[in-house]
Amino acid sequence: MSNDNQGNEAGTPKLKLDGVQHAIQPGESVLALAKRTGTYIPSLCDDPRLDSVGACRTCLVEVEGGGRLTPSCKLEATDGLVVRTDTERVGRHRKTLMAMYLADLPDDVPGEELQLAAQFAGAPTDWEKLEPDRASRPGDTNPYIDFAAELCIACGRCTRYCDEVEGVSAITLADRGAKVTVSTDHAISLLDSTCELCGGCVDVCPTGAMREKPPLSSAPMLARGAAPKLDRVRTTCNYCGVGCQMDLRVDPAGNDGRGKVVRVDSPPPGTKPNDGNLCVKGRFATEFIDHEDRLKQPMIRGIDGRFRGASWDEAIKYAVAGLKGVQDRHGHDGLGFISSSRCTGEENYLVQKLARAAFYTNNVHQCAAT
Amino acid sequence: MVHDRRADVPHLLQEHGGLHPDAVRAVSRATGVAQAEVYGVGSFFHLLNEPGVQLRVCTGLSCRLRGADEVIEKAIAAGIQTRACSCLAACDLPVAVLRGRTMLHGVDGHAMDSAGTDVNGIAAPAVVPGHIGPTDRGEEDFGIGLHLPQQPAGAMLARAQTMGPAAIIDEIKTSGLQGRGGAGFPAFFKWRAVNGNDSSVKYVVLNADEGEPGTFKDREVLLRRPDLVLEGLAIAAWTVGAQDIYCYLRGEFDGPKAALQAAIAKAGDAYGDLTFHLHDGQGAYICGEETALIEALEGKQGKPRNKPPYPTDKGLWQKPTLVHNVETIACVPGIIRSGGQWFADLGRTGPGSKLYALSGHVAQPGTYELPLGVSLDELVAHAGGYIGELKAFCPGGASAGFLPAHERTRPLDFKALREVDTFLGSAGVVVLNESVDMAWAARELLAFFEAETCGQCAPCRIGTRMLRVKADQWLTARGGGGENDALGLVDDIAWEMFEGSICGLGHAAAAPLTSAMKYFPEEFGA
Repeated sequence: MSNDNQGNEAGTPKLKLDGVQHAIQPGESVLALAKRTGTYIPSLCDDPRLDSVGACRTCLVEVEGGGRLTPSCKLEATDGLVVRTDTERVGRHRKTLMAMYLADLPDDVPGEELQLAAQFAGAPTDWEKLEPDRASRPGDTNPYIDFAAELCIACGRCTRYCDEVEGVSAITLADRGAKVTVSTDHAISLLDSTCELCGGCVDVCPTGAMREKPPLSSAPMLARGAAPKLDRVRTTCNYCGVGCQMDLRVDPAGNDGRGKVVRVDSPPPGTKPNDGNLCVKGRFATEFIDHEDRLKQPMIRGIDGRFRGASWDEAIKYAVAGLKGVQDRHGHDGLGFISSSRCTGEENYLVQKLARAAFYTNNVHQCAAT
Repeated sequence: MVHDRRADVPHLLQEHGGLHPDAVRAVSRATGVAQAEVYGVGSFFHLLNEPGVQLRVCTGLSCRLRGADEVIEKAIAAGIQTRACSCLAACDLPVAVLRGRTMLHGVDGHAMDSAGTDVNGIAAPAVVPGHIGPTDRGEEDFGIGLHLPQQPAGAMLARAQTMGPAAIIDEIKTSGLQGRGGAGFPAFFKWRAVNGNDSSVKYVVLNADEGEPGTFKDREVLLRRPDLVLEGLAIAAWTVGAQDIYCYLRGEFDGPKAALQAAIAKAGDAYGDLTFHLHDGQGAYICGEETALIEALEGKQGKPRNKPPYPTDKGLWQKPTLVHNVETIACVPGIIRSGGQWFADLGRTGPGSKLYALSGHVAQPGTYELPLGVSLDELVAHAGGYIGELKAFCPGGASAGFLPAHERTRPLDFKALREVDTFLGSAGVVVLNESVDMAWAARELLAFFEAETCGQCAPCRIGTRMLRVKADQWLTARGGGGENDALGLVDDIAWEMFEGSICGLGHAAAAPLTSAMKYFPEEFGA
């Protein structure tokens, strides 16, 4: 088969985007194709993990032979389609739409996605501000997630994430018109709702309306994108056996230059195994890292009931002596080992090896084994 | 066919007295829908989201011109929980109010005085059929014939069944029948699309969510000729292959709903195994948009869907659905009786006769069935003439904006109005005389769209509010003598609303201001 001068095989479905032919992958939207082939089309309500809704109107494109501008997130890439994002009409639309968004938001919007879209559009920032009429949830005492309604653009990403990914539907877009806001049932606290504090709503918010609360121990509120000086360290969460990938955001100057983890961000959707999704533990429970009560060495409790520090050698000897002592008094099967499905497979292997080969008992179990 | 229990959420919330925590919990348990989602639905609809409100007073233009403000003042002073509300489709019988779920009309200061502090003491009649005309001819002269006696159920359905779907669709095509809810889309096109779809499940939906300010003709059809509505729906369902017909009536239409229920009871088993499901709207103009209506039927907030796909392809519960306005479907039995050509010939510059809802500064507001294409002057002649000197008029509801007096001879049809960048829409014709301040009138209509925008998309959610705020700023600054540039951004905002909004509300909402500025520049300081 011959290829055209852009390397596409003759006969494969193709569309033209801004004058350039691209092969189509089955079922993809024009927005997805643009992303895949390197054309930037701003979008604020779309996410690869969610159904497209075409609500924010940021991704509108011009279709040859079409009428009004069309949302590219909802437009299926089909053979022969001719799409333009570089026309005067699309330019005027982007500029005006982003100017309207900015006029409805405070001066400093922390969200990178919205900032980028507005800058890309060349939107004027001097339109008179509208006073917001959207309700927040000020009495919500949950420790991790805050909602600043004045920053909300009602894109619905957070509520759809809660429905479609987390599956708990704790929040909804409530009310109508300019009052539309994100709410729980009658503004109850997230703690009283079905919310699992997974923080996905914070992750997907394009403006920073959904954001982390200041950590209990310290640190001023760091809004998304507001701290470019933070390092990003990709690592594996150690709270359970799934092995979710997460990005530690590290302030290199913290802890007297040793570095301090100040927050956790999701890696991009598509990152295996967790597709950018995290849970409350991995995303929010990071304070143990620098907590003053964090154990820094093994501890052995004395006769007086108090803990004292010990070396690893001493501690291991002490544990082994205690376990062997039980076996001396009650026989090998006097001991049982219970592990956890939240440990990794490797850790569980070691536990059963310890039980069988070191302590000569088959009494070993963990909750995923049945 | 039984559907998921989500569809029950709105009416269950209504039965539990509206949006309050106990209601949400109970409805969530009964339907299996998450509490937050139940709350979201209740918060969207204004007849649900404020359970304590006792009285809603219409603030449409015609009611405002007849003293709605005084009614509101007196109600509040009397300690009655009162709200202003959007057009109640009783512009011919001002001032209209909603007490609970009952509509009253002709309310004035006296009626409020005699009520004292008791909202149930307001001495005003429930909405009854309004004035209609002309009434001096028979069924061969009208597509509908509001004044004519109701016909027994099933006769035209039987005739249609002998013709067969292809012939029926052909007659509808010949008739030139266009959608009379606002869009003016050729009806046969939708019938053919749904008929041609091979899905085993299809639906017919009646759009009786009449809410376009200035419009009340669907109310008249439901009150006077519900027989035609049922017969038309039955013929449509048989033709396209549907067995379930969903009638969405706006929640304020207690009278029309009763009339429709009576007609269904009277029809007995004339419609065989067709099932009519009546659904009450819960207060949201946007549910007049067909996809928002479908969302509400499914038990969700009434937020319009992106099109494509169109309802004829994927509509109610994603099945092929034929959605029709009340007046449109009421034209169908006549077309079956006397043929498509007969219907087309009733028109003047376009096919068919047309119901025009006329209100404002005319002697006899009411619903007039006339050949499509009459001019404003002819229409008003039927209504006893103008009150005062004609200044401006809305040819087709709030969404069509204003035209100046010098367009009084232009045909009011689906084509000629497009030539001057407006449209016939719902044919809710509001007449304004020289006493009306056009900037005030424009601001009133902007406030309507601001109150009714669903909020899903930024061009409309932000644009409607921005325009109303700027109109208010302009009105405040007017006469101050200095620079008044509050309206400088209107052009850009209106352009974006027209280009970027998901649905017709956003596309049209700037029209009252842009048309007023265009035709009455002197009133805007130019």
